[in-house]
This record gives sequence, C-alpha cells and structure tokens, in this order.
Amino acid sequence: METLVANPKLDIRQHNFDFRGTASEYFRIWIVNLLLSIITIGIYTAWAKVRRLRYFYGNTFLDGHNFEYHGRPIQILIGRIIIIGIIVVINVLTQVNPLFGLLILPYLIALPWLINKAIGFNARMTSYRNVRFSFKGSYWGAFGVFVAMPIAAAMTAGLLGPVSSQLSSNYIGNRLKFGTAKFRTDAPLGALYGNWGVTIVFTLIVTAIAGSAGFGIGTVLSGFNTLAYTGTNGDIAEFLTAAPGISGIIGAYAALFLAFIFYSAGVRNLALNATTLEGGHALQSSISRLQYVWIAFSNFVLTLLTLSLMRPWAAIRSWRYLMANSAILAASSLDNFVDEAMPDGNVAAAEYLDIEGIDFGL
Amino acid sequence: MIEGRYFPPNASRSTAAKLWGISGDLRLHVEGDSEPSRPKLVLLSDRLGSVPRKFTFEDGGVFEAPANADVDGLMGSHGSFFSRVSRLEASWRFAAVAVFLTFGLLFSLYRYGLPVAASAAAVVTPSGLVELMDSGSLETIDRVFFSPSKLDDSRKREVQAVFDSLALASGNNSPPLKLEFRDGGRLDANAFALPGGTIVITDQLLELSKSEDEYAGVLAHEIGHVQNRHQLQQIYRLLGISFMIGLVGGDSSQLIDQVVSQAATLQSLAYTREFERDADKRSVEIMLKAGRNPIAFIALLERITKDIPGAQKTSWLSSHPGNEDRKKSVTEIAKTLNWDGQ
Repeated sequence: METLVANPKLDIRQHNFDFRGTASEYFRIWIVNLLLSIITIGIYTAWAKVRRLRYFYGNTFLDGHNFEYHGRPIQILIGRIIIIGIIVVINVLTQVNPLFGLLILPYLIALPWLINKAIGFNARMTSYRNVRFSFKGSYWGAFGVFVAMPIAAAMTAGLLGPVSSQLSSNYIGNRLKFGTAKFRTDAPLGALYGNWGVTIVFTLIVTAIAGSAGFGIGTVLSGFNTLAYTGTNGDIAEFLTAAPGISGIIGAYAALFLAFIFYSAGVRNLALNATTLEGGHALQSSISRLQYVWIAFSNFVLTLLTLSLMRPWAAIRSWRYLMANSAILAASSLDNFVDEAMPDGNVAAAEYLDIEGIDFGL
Repeated sequence: MIEGRYFPPNASRSTAAKLWGISGDLRLHVEGDSEPSRPKLVLLSDRLGSVPRKFTFEDGGVFEAPANADVDGLMGSHGSFFSRVSRLEASWRFAAVAVFLTFGLLFSLYRYGLPVAASAAAVVTPSGLVELMDSGSLETIDRVFFSPSKLDDSRKREVQAVFDSLALASGNNSPPLKLEFRDGGRLDANAFALPGGTIVITDQLLELSKSEDEYAGVLAHEIGHVQNRHQLQQIYRLLGISFMIGLVGGDSSQLIDQVVSQAATLQSLAYTREFERDADKRSVEIMLKAGRNPIAFIALLERITKDIPGAQKTSWLSSHPGNEDRKKSVTEIAKTLNWDGQ
C-alpha cells in the first residue's frame, strides 16, 4: 500500500480550477428543468436539482479531472417531501394558534444538528477522482459557531462579525476531509477585521451613492408628476408622489446586500488561502471583491430585466469567475488519495437548508 | 469500444482503459493488466451535456468515458428517459417552445389555477380544524389586545338581535355564525371575522355608530368574509404562491429571492383588497334582504378612518380599498340590486 509522504524535493505545482460549462448549453438544460418541474407540479424539481448540480460540478475540472455530484433524485425528493410536510404542519399550527410562531427555541436547538447533517450530506455527495469528500460535525461546535456567535455578533452591532466568520470558516475547514486526507483551516483574525473595515467604507460609499441615486430618480419621477401628470388614476399619482422616499429606501437596501456580498467574498479569500490539505497541498482564492460585487449586481439587474431568461447565463458567469480565481498548490501528484467509508449525512437536513436558501460554499 | 480511464476502488489514481461488450456483459481492459475483466455495472451516470459519463462497478471501481463517447450506443440506451431529455436539452428549437410553454403555464397557473385551487381547498378544509383556528386565534388576540366588553346586557342583546336577523337574511348557516363582544384596547373601533364563523365587534365601533344600519353593514361585511371563506382562501393562495416560487426558484440568487418575496407581499395585499370588495358586495346583498340601508356603513368607516392619512384612497400598498372607491362601488352594487336609495 502506498503511503502519503510529502517530498520536499518535488516542486510545487499550481493547478487552476477550470470551468468548461457554457451559458448556451446550460440555458437549454435550465429551461427543460423548469418546464418539466411545472408540468409535474414540482416532483421533477428533485431531478432538476441533480442535473443542475451535475452540470456545474461535472464541468469543473482540476488537473484534467472533473468533480461529480452523486445525490440521487429519489432521495432528494423524499427529503423535500419531509421538509415541506413539516413546514405545512408548522404553518397550520401557527394558524390555529399564532403563539406557535414564537417557538423559536426548538428551532435553535435543532439548527446545529441540521447544519452538520446538511454539510455532511453535501460533502458526501461530492467526489473528485473517485474519492469523496466528508464532513464530521459536532453538536456543540456547530451550536457555538452557527447559533451563539451570530447572536453575539448581532448584539455587538457587528463588532464580533469577523470573529464569527473566523470560527465558522475554521469549524467547516477543520472538519472536512477528502477521502482520508484532512483539510486544515486557520483563518487569520487580523485580516478578517481588515476585510470588515474595508467593507464598512464600501458600505458607506455605496449607500450614499445608491441612496441618493434612488432619491434622485424618485424626485425626477415625482417632478414629472406635478408638472405633467394630470390624469385621474390615483395609483399612479400616489406612486409618483411617494417615489423619492421609496426608491431612496430601495437604494439603501440594495447597498446593504452588496456590502454583504463584498464582505463574504473577502472572507472566502482569507479562509481558502488559510486552508491546506494533508499531503502538503494548499488552496488559493484570489477573487476581487469589487469585481465579484459587480458580477452579482449586474447579474441581478439582467435577470430581473429579462424576467429570469438571463438567469442561466448569470449563474454560469459567477461560477466561472469563482473557479477561474481558485487554485490548488499541489506539493505532489493528486493521484495518491484514498477514499474511506463515512456516514452520508441527512438529505432532509440538506433540503431544509436548500429550501431556506442557507448556503455554505465549499 | 470506448477508450477512457479507470479508477480502482477508493483510489484517485487513474489508468487508461478500454470498455466494450454489450449492456449486461461488459469487458474492461485496464492498461497493464494481462486479461480483460467482466465487471458488474451498478450505476451509469445519466447523459447530461458534455459531462463525462461514469460507470460505477460492483467493487467500487469507476470507468470514465470521455465527453464525446457514444455511451448510449454501447449500452443500447438511446431510448432511455434521460437520453431523450438530453436530446431535448440539446435542441434550440425545443428550448424556444419550452420558453413559451413555461411562461404560459406559469401565468395561467398563477392567474387561474391558484384561485380555483385555493377556493376548492377552502371548501374541503375540515370544520374541526377551522374551529380550532378560531378558538386559538381569539385566545391569542384576547391576550395581546382585548379586554372583556364593558357594554351592558341590554345593548348586547340589541346588537345580538341585529346580528341574528342578518345571519337569517344571509340564508346560509355554514359555518355557524357566532358574535363576540370585546373592548378593542389598542385595536380601538374594529370588527373582524375568523374563518370558523366567529365575528368579533369592539365596544368602540358600536359607540361610533350613529344608527343600527351602520354597524349592521359592518357585521354583514364580516359575515360575507366567513361565508365566502376568504381567510382560508388567503392562506391557501399564499401557500400556493410560495410553492410556485419554490418551483421556479430552485436556482436563484439571494438578491432575486428578496425581490420575489417582496413582490409576494404586495400580491397578498392585492388579494386582501379583492376579498374586501367581495365582502362589500355580499354585505349589500344581506343588508337589502334584511331591509336595511346597504351604504350606511361607509359613513361609519369614514368616521373611523378620518384621522388615518391615505384611508380615503385605494393604493397598491393598502390592505382595504379606499373609502371613496368603496362608497362608489357599494352604491353601484346596491343600485343593480334595485335599491331605491332609502
């Protein structure tokens, strides 16, 4: 049997991630997914999800080999049915007695378990070169990182945000494995605070620009109202009068979202650059925060303007950008990894986080 | 024969290999081996764009076919479901058709399917559940807003008699109607209906009424909500909308999710306004049948909302139609039902 020993004489080779999917190919897969999902009143969404993820993973190459998504549609469908059933029951209970809506405590108690099992499932369903990823969570670790720390960060008005980011990056990174090889993440706190500071400056500038642009557009609209609008349609007149305030608020709201994307992009760089894989390999991420914000923003505008027809293009564009700016510095050949048997996580937990839109990128 | 590469079980090191034979009896020759083996196939990944397809064998070994390999030819699986889907996915002509079909289906589902499904669901909802909803909601609202009514018994009997006459005039006793008196507290002058037939009226609303017909119109409006099952329909329509959002939003960004959920809130307000107009219409019918003035309650509404800016006009942000619109439409409905204006 081969043992894994890093050989210092071997020179380190950089392998860039390479995404080979195209927007035109994915558009047709996307629209077929959508149509079949509607015709089957949602049942096909499980198959659609598998095809979407297989398309993205399967076209992502590293050192001449692609990734693979192994989730099985039936399994995902069952997970979805369980989660939708639970959501419906909770909704009915809330209708019967609104006080049920306040039962946040059981939810917070279940959340760490859900997150562990979801990350576990998603890792286990991903392979590269016939070797699967795995994740082993701990309840109290996840409780501290995903429940206690976000609350602490919110209570300190974001002051502890970088600490929260550091702990969650480290938690995920240190519990992830590729076959038998362990990842290690040690995200630097100082740099995370630096990223946080730059984000605040970015937020102030963008809020000022977006807020006043919104207000300006609104003012022009309402000026149009007083000057030219003499119709009797109350809706339009009222909308025009309220326009400066409303579009100012929308502008500021959008700015906060962009700030969040800016911050997360910085955290991704710092976390991945501080991550190594057993065998002397190191990960690399070099996305530009401003460019990534621009991609997210223009994707959003184009998706909205085209009634989502540009969504496939947008999805391909941001994934390609992320992959083009990610790499692995390999100390030796990537041929020597060995897979091991691990539990599969829980599909319902993964589907819950998916439905709620909670996402922990690898 | 397909030339690809082979991964031994649980290992990341691949070797060039050849796969041939027929489905069910495959031969695999890994470079360096003296003899081809006869592996047992357990899983073959579906065809999807140009993603390389992978054969997983019983022992965990994997053969990877290159992107351009004719795997369906080897396996005789051109007719399999995902080979067909994958041919649809390759066709621009079908994509164009699919765009039209998708938009058409989504629109008609939303415009026609949802309201019909919601009202059907409202009718078949078990009455036991609806009664539970009533008692639970009333208990909560009592705890949060209301205190017991301070009206004396003779006044209560008087209002109850008006309510009973309206219930009789409505000609329909399903679900059974029940009147509750409360001191409105922070909710002040108000009246509302719960889906199971419980109608709550506050002391303050009765105090503001200058005639029996004024509060009777409000009660008839609430009876309209109950009999047309508006609250249940609202619940089901909103459930339907979130289901539809989930259906189409499998792959959407967080920003888009935000916009869509805001739009859904506006849509729920539009539904509420639709139901309010419907209840107004029902109120007019019941009031005429009971021989009362069907537009008197508008004066009461104007009195209640006179200090609330914007209550006179309908807008896309309001939960109820504006008073001006209501007065106009209520008068029109009354006229079409041969009301003589007295």
